[in-house]
Amino acid sequence: MPIRIEHKVEAMRLLIKGGKIAAEEGPLVPGDVLIIDGVITAVGEGLDVPPEAQVIEAEGKIVAPAMFDAHVHFREPGQEYKEDIAHGTEAAINGGVTGVVMMPNTSPAIDSPAVVRSILERAREVSRIPVYTSGCITKGRAGGELSGIDGMRQLGVVMLTDDGDPVANPAVLRNAMEYATPFGMFFASHCEVAELSGPRALNEGKISYQLGIKGSPACSEEICMDRDIRLAHAAGARIHIQHVSSAIGMETIRWWKQMGAEVTAEVSPHHLIFNEEDIGDYDTHYKMNPPLRSVDDNAALLEGLKEGVFDLIATDHAPHSAFEKEQDFVSAPNGITGLETALVSLHDRFIASGQIGWDLIVKRYSAEPRRMMGLEVVPVEKSKPADLIVFDPAGETTFSREFMRSKSVNTPFLDKTLQGRVELVVRGSEILLQR
Amino acid sequence: MARKDFLDIASLSREEVDLLLDQATPFKELFTRSVKKVPALKGKSVLMLFYEPSTRTLSSFEVAAKRLSADVIDLDVPHSSVTKGETVKDTVDTLQAMRADYIVVRHKMSGLPQAIARQTRASVINAGDGAHAHPTQALLDAFTLREVFPDLSGRKVLIAGDILHSRVARSTSRLLLTLGVEVGFLGPGSLNPRSGPEGIRRFTDFDEALRWKPDTVYLLRVQMERQDVQYFPGVQEYHRVYGITRERLDRIQGEGVYIMHPGPVNRGVELCHEVMDYERSLINQQVENGIAARMAVLYSLKPQTDLQDADQDRT
Repeated sequence: MPIRIEHKVEAMRLLIKGGKIAAEEGPLVPGDVLIIDGVITAVGEGLDVPPEAQVIEAEGKIVAPAMFDAHVHFREPGQEYKEDIAHGTEAAINGGVTGVVMMPNTSPAIDSPAVVRSILERAREVSRIPVYTSGCITKGRAGGELSGIDGMRQLGVVMLTDDGDPVANPAVLRNAMEYATPFGMFFASHCEVAELSGPRALNEGKISYQLGIKGSPACSEEICMDRDIRLAHAAGARIHIQHVSSAIGMETIRWWKQMGAEVTAEVSPHHLIFNEEDIGDYDTHYKMNPPLRSVDDNAALLEGLKEGVFDLIATDHAPHSAFEKEQDFVSAPNGITGLETALVSLHDRFIASGQIGWDLIVKRYSAEPRRMMGLEVVPVEKSKPADLIVFDPAGETTFSREFMRSKSVNTPFLDKTLQGRVELVVRGSEILLQR
Repeated sequence: MARKDFLDIASLSREEVDLLLDQATPFKELFTRSVKKVPALKGKSVLMLFYEPSTRTLSSFEVAAKRLSADVIDLDVPHSSVTKGETVKDTVDTLQAMRADYIVVRHKMSGLPQAIARQTRASVINAGDGAHAHPTQALLDAFTLREVFPDLSGRKVLIAGDILHSRVARSTSRLLLTLGVEVGFLGPGSLNPRSGPEGIRRFTDFDEALRWKPDTVYLLRVQMERQDVQYFPGVQEYHRVYGITRERLDRIQGEGVYIMHPGPVNRGVELCHEVMDYERSLINQQVENGIAARMAVLYSLKPQTDLQDADQDRT
């Protein structure tokens, strides 16, 4: 399906007619949405069509706040053959996402004001959506010297993380927490004890035994998670736990929330949908870190999402080129793309089957990640800025190479057809995507 | 058997296993004749692609291929880091130029032979990949056991040692289960995974394992080189707790238990040297049977290399 990209129109008037509006609380509510010059000016049934307005027929479709992904890897600078800000942000739009937070494992790492500035400038040039970036805790993500924390803060960085190589020395992490917390910054943790993780290839269990590859046990993730929350709690810091993959990990978050720790946590679509059994005959599309775990973990994570243990959904969009993924299972890099598939796959798997409602998706993939980043939420309500999508629950999406806007297609959804389709993405006065 | 590749035990049916075992018998009989060769694979070429050092398995395959009258090409693969990070496609592109009908692969990375097999018309035989599979070893082990116990069903085999890192344990146990053998795993708790396969008894105590009354104890080679961190305090302690000591040999002898080992043995570690002269040691028999079993595999596979030429003519 061709995409029409229409740039900012003066005196834009758009009426989305006959859809059902999703919000983070409550059921879908029928209503038309009128957008004038980038602002929602009216919401309600049977709105009149103003003169010169473009009308979008949305009968049977969902009108929802646009999504926000707090965990993406855009590989720029340094690995632009995998992804860059231009393609990554277009991939986001393709999936109904209008804001992202980049992770700092670029080359060089995002550990200084200079790198932050260059990324934000690049984003202003090439991106049609806001791009935020996290910053490193330590220089070069090496776990030793602290990075240029205040300089990055002055450029708007609020999230600090060493990404896939968590700070091994707890004293370094604690000092960083005590130092940066008064600046209003918070920490994000990819949790792992490297010594326990082996070659970081797959979950330890019956599949790792069968395939003859040393597995990474869930306790590797759970120990680090517990350590980091404990440190944050002691240091009075706020901490966000990334891509929780195990049942005990989910319970660890729940317990710490009950203890009053300032902790938030995310779960990724792939940890909800896939498990270690999917690896089959060494399919590297199912290789990521933390690894896919068991069927029971899938169920526990979904429960954690429904019960509010997880504050947000984030994809960990991690592009890799085909030749890298064509290596043997141990040598192939960890990661799966997610921006373009997340919303449709969650719809196909959980909304269409009635296991969760749109309110949960809006809350966890649009509102909460924005709140975590200190941003305004974007409800489809009168006098709010337009930042929304139209989604066809009866439509289908085939994730072909042609469909994808990302530079990489390392996802098990490649060439699969799933139920649901992002039809329209509007942000301010711009129609970012229309199918 | 219309199979192109021989990659693991898991994908073999019981019928295929029986066929292969039956096929190995006449090949073994051939060894007693003055002319030990048959022309079955005359004009075909077998490429040895050993990314991991090996003498026993490599020679066994070479002898097997030559006794079937195949041409043997031994690709001198550097055993170094060159292989890490090479894409499977790079490897296969190299192999196409050799125009082999059969490729025998050994690689330290689990799953690599499978990936090669998907991208070539030649028959790929897995000669050991990482800790994943060593299916021809499993076949020769089953063949050896069947010579001792014509009906394997209900027999008990105790596989002892470093289960965690062993492709032999994985493949041989799987094949024995297919043949109705009861299998037990004995090894240090750190090398005997609790999340192993279903249907296998797990022991961490040798005496308890012997009370289970195995017919055969199959010892695995302790592979110090595969251990990234220490899994047990030392070889002397290992021998005392998990090895066939002289005392255990006496007990085993008294109960008429057979002993197997994939070789090469570490004397004083998994077994005391007296085991080598034990009348119920099947270790040398395993080596001889390895050739017959590998001949059976080569003989049974169906390479699609003739189709490859047809394809090339067309394009």
